[in-house]
Formats: sequence, C-alpha cells, structure tokens
Amino acid sequence: MDEPVPASHPEPAERSAPIEPSEPAERPRRNALLPCVLAWALPGLGHLSLGRTARAVAFFVVVTATFGLGLASGGTASVVDPQQPLSYLATFDNLALGPLDLVGRSVSLGGLVYRLPEEESNPQRQAVMNRMRDRVRLPTYEYGSTFLLTAGLMNILLILDAFDIARGRKD
Amino acid sequence: MIPSHVLNMVVFAGLVAVFFAFLTQNKARDRARVIVVLGGAMVVLSLIVAYVMYPFPLAR
Repeated sequence: MDEPVPASHPEPAERSAPIEPSEPAERPRRNALLPCVLAWALPGLGHLSLGRTARAVAFFVVVTATFGLGLASGGTASVVDPQQPLSYLATFDNLALGPLDLVGRSVSLGGLVYRLPEEESNPQRQAVMNRMRDRVRLPTYEYGSTFLLTAGLMNILLILDAFDIARGRKD
Repeated sequence: MIPSHVLNMVVFAGLVAVFFAFLTQNKARDRARVIVVLGGAMVVLSLIVAYVMYPFPLAR
C-alpha cells in the first residue's frame, strides 16, 4: 500500500523544477588572431599583448633558453625527408618557433633548408648531409635535438594558450 | 653545451616544470609546488627507469 504523501512535501512537479544555473562570469572576448601570430613570432609576445606580463617574461626566458641550449648542444633543425614520414611532424614542430627557427636552421644546417633533395647526387643534399653528420658526431646531439623539438612544442602550447585567453576561455 | 648526462636531464626537467607551472597556475605558491613536484618527478622517475633498465644489455 502506498503511503500518503505528507502535505508539506513538495509536489513532484516542484521537485523536478530545474534550478537556474548561475550566470558565468563574463570574460572579454578579443580577436584571437593577433595574439596567436605574436605568440608564434616571439615566445611570450602573445601573452604580453594580452596583459599577462609575468607569464610572458617567464615563457620568453624558458623557451629561448630551451632553444639556445638545444642549438649549443649540437641539435639540428629537422628537414622534410619523404622517406621518413615523421620528419614532416618534426619540421612542423621546428617551424612553430617562428623566426627563431630561421636562426636554428642557419646555425645547424648552414642555410634555410626545409626539404632534403631526393637525388643522392644533388650537391645541396651532400652539403646538408655533411653538416648533419658533423653535428651527429657530437656527444650531446640527441639532447640538443630534443631541446629544439621541446622548444617548438612549448611554443605550440603558447599559441593555443594565447588563443584561449583571447577568446575568454581562460584567465 | 652541457657535457653531463645527468645535468642535461635536470636542466630539461627544470625548464619543462617551470613552463607548465606558469602555463597552468596563477598563484606563485601553486607554481612553486608544480615546479617541485613535476621537476622532481621527472628526475626521480627517469633515474628509476634507468636503474630498472640497467641489467638489460644493448642489442649487438
């Protein structure tokens, strides 16, 4: 037998009435393109343009230090080699550093080389390969390349973070 | 160039820890905690993995 519902008990319709969610705090939404481009051009510049000065300084120091250590340790900028599909990803990662990548490529490869020529007899291929062999012989080559790739990955995260802040998704 | 393997690892862990501390936290105290926990974990776990791998010989 069903027990009678007490008079003070709210009606089912009242119980199931949705509770009004509190309004989320309004965050300013800005054009996200400019901070992203600035973040790509120089690590931390995107955050500086969004008023996050302390973060901008920290990101600039950390990313440029990672990049500099990588280059000083014998790291080499990646070039696209059609026979190695992962080289596309590594090259894209290096390109995320913006103008810093130009410095990295000039120092490690002796010029702005982005793709390894396929012909074995190509003199440019020979020159790039000789340059890479010289750096691979350094005991810290692997560390250096890892530092360079990490700097690129950091800057990709910074670009995405600047996008989120500009769109009001993050403080 | 840093010639020491261990020093390379510690510097790398420190840089990554500082980066993620500033990326994910807003307060100085929280950032310091992330730096200590993340940086320390990277170094300690790497040493543990290296110790576990030590008995395995290189393939010849």
